[in-house]
Amino acid sequence: MTPRRSSRVLLLGIVGLLASCAPGPSTSASFEPSTSPSAIPASTPSQSAAADYPLTVTDDAEREVTIPAEPERIVSLAPSNTEIVCALDACDRLVGVTDFDDYPAEVAEVDRVVTMAEVDVEAVVAAEPDLVLAAGNELTPSAVIEQLTDLGLVVLVLYPESLAEVTGDIELVGTALGQGEEAAALVDDMESRIAAVEAAVAGIERPRTFYEVSVFEGTIYTAGQGSFLASLIDTAGGMPVTGDALSTSIEIEELVAADPQLILLGDATYDPTITPESVAARPGWETMTAVADDRVEVVTEDVVITRPGPRIVDGLEALAGAIHPDAFAE
Amino acid sequence: MRAGVAPRPLVRARPLTRAAIVLGSGGLVLLGALIVGIGLGSVAIAPDDVLRVLGHRLLGIGASSSVSDALETIVIDLRLPRVLGAMVVGAGLACAGTVFQAILRNPMADPYIIGTAAGASLGATIGIVLPLLLPALAIGAGSAWLGLGVVQLLAFAGGMGTVLLVIVVARNGGRLPSVTLLLTGYAVSSLLAAGVALLMFASGRALAAIFAWLMGSLAAVGWIDLVVVTPVVAGVFVVLLARWRNLNLLLLGDGPAAHLGLDVGREKLRLTMLATLATSATVAISGTIGFVGLVVPHLLRLVVGPDHRLLLPASALFGATLLVMADLGARLAGGIPVGVVTAFVGAPFLLWLLRRSRRVSTSMAI
Repeated sequence: MTPRRSSRVLLLGIVGLLASCAPGPSTSASFEPSTSPSAIPASTPSQSAAADYPLTVTDDAEREVTIPAEPERIVSLAPSNTEIVCALDACDRLVGVTDFDDYPAEVAEVDRVVTMAEVDVEAVVAAEPDLVLAAGNELTPSAVIEQLTDLGLVVLVLYPESLAEVTGDIELVGTALGQGEEAAALVDDMESRIAAVEAAVAGIERPRTFYEVSVFEGTIYTAGQGSFLASLIDTAGGMPVTGDALSTSIEIEELVAADPQLILLGDATYDPTITPESVAARPGWETMTAVADDRVEVVTEDVVITRPGPRIVDGLEALAGAIHPDAFAE
Repeated sequence: MRAGVAPRPLVRARPLTRAAIVLGSGGLVLLGALIVGIGLGSVAIAPDDVLRVLGHRLLGIGASSSVSDALETIVIDLRLPRVLGAMVVGAGLACAGTVFQAILRNPMADPYIIGTAAGASLGATIGIVLPLLLPALAIGAGSAWLGLGVVQLLAFAGGMGTVLLVIVVARNGGRLPSVTLLLTGYAVSSLLAAGVALLMFASGRALAAIFAWLMGSLAAVGWIDLVVVTPVVAGVFVVLLARWRNLNLLLLGDGPAAHLGLDVGREKLRLTMLATLATSATVAISGTIGFVGLVVPHLLRLVVGPDHRLLLPASALFGATLLVMADLGARLAGGIPVGVVTAFVGAPFLLWLLRRSRRVSTSMAI
């Protein structure tokens, strides 16, 4: 790989990272398990699904999308979308995924239509999909969404900004695919696990928690204010330490002033050189309570913590376990 | 300009055959590039299928039934506008670069040098960010906030407006001194670039869209873009070509050109606005694609000499060919930025020509 290309990959990764952590609209700040605006009641019967087509749903970009018939050929433009489709027993209908897709294992067989975060529109069209599941928030560029829609493809944009919206999106995809029952069962399971975490951390003191997404050239990236990640930390029983409202990064001075009681190293998932010892050795970090109390923890579940699919509950449980090890002792 | 003095070509007219050979072969190479560009892509389509689609859709020959709708969409609605877009953008940037190098008599001049790129970037960035800050401006719920044309229009207006501002500031009486123009362009560009950086910092979820725009891409070029931009570029090219004598005169420097009867200040103004018009129009549909406008005129000057009567059309042909091929390379390499490919292909070629050419010192002294 040439230096230029690799730096672009790096840059794209960072941009993706920024986009995925960016603060969402203020309305998304609530993360009660209430249904999101796009959620379809879980009681929608799927038995009569065949008769429901064509059906019209509202996606996360507030677009009204009409699905003419039960989708048989699905292109997913984001790993979280792929995981939702597969969790609804529709993995065999996928005809295109991204090169970031790594779960479940059978998606390795599916053609890649997104390479290096670049949607190959030709490849998407050639896959002849009857449903394209795009990602919001510019993870799928809005120009591409527009282009695909103009070409006559049915595009559903998914961008959950809270746990409740993840389950809402699962129900939305379930409705779109005629897999409403599977979706309802999955959401039931997820909601009971979320409730269990909430019950376990209720009333326990909430440590100021700093989740390190990455550190690049001295810039420290973490959860943005009002972001999904911040709300996840909150649900897991921590008080998220975030930067400015506009940014997903935090200045070292602000971080020292915020004095986190717990530091979670999400980037250690990908970089084994990031350890509690290396963090303690960073200039300025030794003054933080977390470092003094030896509460700098390696988190190896960053993928499921930051990927808003069905496994987000695994991420929530991992976070809660890291924040409150005593409450999840066994 | 004043009539009466009919400047003779500075460079003795080369035999017509030479021009015919250069332009004829350039045209053939461009045609070949177009065919290859439409024939190849990330999805493999058999050449006879491509021909069948083109014959059916463009000429009305044959039946479409033998080719799937998806392949037809790929050829007609994705590849064809993209390849033609690369051709128009490449030609426009190469022409504009040729003109700016002549006006400014500076080998580092490119179409963006006096502020077009910075202005267009700021315009596009505002177009991307503004609907986020003021949701009421989002145009059409269906197309989300990247409303059709808003970003393009603001990019175009930004490019044109910036150059107008630069000219107003740089003008000194009736004169438009090159050094002042360059430095003013640099200062204004720096200011606008800071604005872009500030907006990027505050853009949140639109950052990726801004970033993609700044990298430049032909992926989103559609038929509507072509219908709007092609006449602009073609018109500018014709007008510029008609002024080839004046361009040649400017190579002598402002003083000698004025002595030979050219209203230098006014002519520079006209040429600058024409080149900026072509640049802004192309940048509006493709983002800022670098290198083509800088290197193509140099390459062609080494090959055909500095006479603009031949240099302009040759630059247009070769610029179009280079960008069509570079965009094909970018597509085949998995969507890397086209500017990276133009640099990878063009820079070594330029270096080779520089080493090889014994006329470098004279022909580069523009």
